[in-house]
Amino acid sequence: MRALTNTRVFRSVFRHGFPSSNRNRSLVVFSSFFLHFHPVKVRLRAIRFTRTFYLGGLCVACFFILTVSGIFLMFYYRPAVPHAYHDMKDLVFVVSSGTFLRNLHRFTAHMMVALALLHMAWTFLRGAYRPPREFNWVIGVGLLVVTVLLSYTGYLLPWDQLAYWAVTVGTNLVAATPLVGQKIKLLLLGGHAINDNALLRFYVLHCVVLPMVLVLGIGLHVWRVRKDGGIHLPPEVRTLAPGATEAMATTSKEAAQ
Amino acid sequence: MPLIDDLEVSASREELERRRFLGLLGSGALGLAGLGTLIAGVRYLEPDVLYEEDERFTVGRPETIPVGTLLVARTRKVYVVHGPRGFYAISAVCSHFGCVTRHTPGQARITCPCHGSSFDLTGNVISGPAPSGLVHLKLTLEHGLLIADASCPVPSDTVLEV
Amino acid sequence: MRERDEELGSQEAARAGADSARVVVVDFAAPELAGDLSDEPMVMTFPHLLVRELVAFLALSLFLVLVSLFFDAPLDAIADPTRTPNPAKAPWYFLGLQELLHYYPPVVAGVLLPGLLIIALAVIPYFQVNVERPSLWESAPLRRLGLLWLAISALSTVFCFASALPVWSIVVPLWMVGVAMSTGALPWRGGRVALWLRTRSLPFWIFLWFLVSATTLTATGFFFRGPGWAFTIPWRDGIY
Repeated sequence: MRALTNTRVFRSVFRHGFPSSNRNRSLVVFSSFFLHFHPVKVRLRAIRFTRTFYLGGLCVACFFILTVSGIFLMFYYRPAVPHAYHDMKDLVFVVSSGTFLRNLHRFTAHMMVALALLHMAWTFLRGAYRPPREFNWVIGVGLLVVTVLLSYTGYLLPWDQLAYWAVTVGTNLVAATPLVGQKIKLLLLGGHAINDNALLRFYVLHCVVLPMVLVLGIGLHVWRVRKDGGIHLPPEVRTLAPGATEAMATTSKEAAQ
Repeated sequence: MPLIDDLEVSASREELERRRFLGLLGSGALGLAGLGTLIAGVRYLEPDVLYEEDERFTVGRPETIPVGTLLVARTRKVYVVHGPRGFYAISAVCSHFGCVTRHTPGQARITCPCHGSSFDLTGNVISGPAPSGLVHLKLTLEHGLLIADASCPVPSDTVLEV
Repeated sequence: MRERDEELGSQEAARAGADSARVVVVDFAAPELAGDLSDEPMVMTFPHLLVRELVAFLALSLFLVLVSLFFDAPLDAIADPTRTPNPAKAPWYFLGLQELLHYYPPVVAGVLLPGLLIIALAVIPYFQVNVERPSLWESAPLRRLGLLWLAISALSTVFCFASALPVWSIVVPLWMVGVAMSTGALPWRGGRVALWLRTRSLPFWIFLWFLVSATTLTATGFFFRGPGWAFTIPWRDGIY
């Protein structure tokens, strides 16, 4: 292993030696495109599991699983009314591992929405939304909306009864918006009823537009966390009123968290 | 390496004014072009031709439908009723969220499975969250045949007497 | 920048120290720089953080793979525009919204309330620039208590009478939050729990109300609604 890391080819790719020194360990992170959103060193408090439950990171992990399984599903799916449902049946009954990939895609999507909601609740309860991170909280709310929209546009694609009627209710919801509602519904469906056009539009939104928006948004979100000095950690209690009891000191330390 | 600081380069008032004018002109043109692109983009997404089904359909000969009959045109999502005053057609699409309502034979109400609204046989809301009654549709008599048009709403007191 | 913020911080601390009657938690508004300036323990990102991330990712993958192997995603009959299934339920994260649709006209339940919720969530941080956080009940507790219950009564009225039926899923959490909040105004000092309740901020209570209401609405829609959106008991009638 060590010998491998000393070869010219390895060095041309990674530009650092075996990570047995702190210098090389820094370079692992610092010189990697994929890891450079991490700092080289982190506070021990920040990486404890119970601090964040890694909720944000697990959302990204879900997105990764969804991208991979989604690309696999795309090979067998045609977004057109006579085909969509039958392709789904083919996936379930004919394609090797088709059922598994479909299950994985569906359950991971639900998991991602749930994790994003929990991430938001936990971020709030920990007070991490406060200045200077207020705009990043707004980006986070936007990401939650995009995540839900991704899940929702994907919901129509199997073209089964569940899909059709969930989307009927959803688009009529949009149509209820005063003034622009009907217009938005027409643009979204590409017609007056949920049909071929609507299926194709939802497919494009689900596979191209919304994932691109989400990737950009996640990048921005993580970059801003990094710029604000990593994840939010409550400052230690600096001052306590003289005469405060020991019990009160501990409790207010918790209150700050 | 010396920095050529354009903030330090002096400019006459005329020059500054020209710069401001050209700046305004440029950003105005850019704004207009952006607006045009936006409008054209929205127009592109709006389909000009829709291959949707004709919403007119033949119900049947009126003399074969006795008074007190409610016909369910299931694929057309329309109810045609022969009431005491004459014929009328009401849409089966719930005015609340577009779910298709149901009528159980023998009952004097039409119910929606989505959010639990119910309507009487003239389409008026009995209960539930529906904001208005079921839409009445145009019914005409052509060559002795009843023709319903699901795309043409009419006032709720319209009745076709035969 | 950094210097100024530190100076600000020490001023806050001095001010807090001068006031001996209250417990003050100094909460810096300045960016907390990842730390070589502080003396708290640090570790190298590689391997400490990266290994944890990998383990978390693998654990999640394992869980999802197992679920996908043992349970099948639902696939209903082919879409039929002429037959609405009964009940027609949206995915679970929209069931709270669908439950609201049962009470309010579409414009209110489908556009106004969710729109307001998203806007409220987005603007929360802009309304709470609290460099220091004194207790909600520190000054004029009785007047604030009155205001609180006035607001709760007004909101209860809105959610009871402006809709077809009283929206208990929203009103009951509101009352519970109100009662929990009011304990802070009592002269009784109490133990750790009472102190914790007393030191919560107003946005915390509002968010808690949102959270509990949304959860209740979603759970009602998921477990307690059957054909025709009628109330059902899940352990007797099953989950629709």
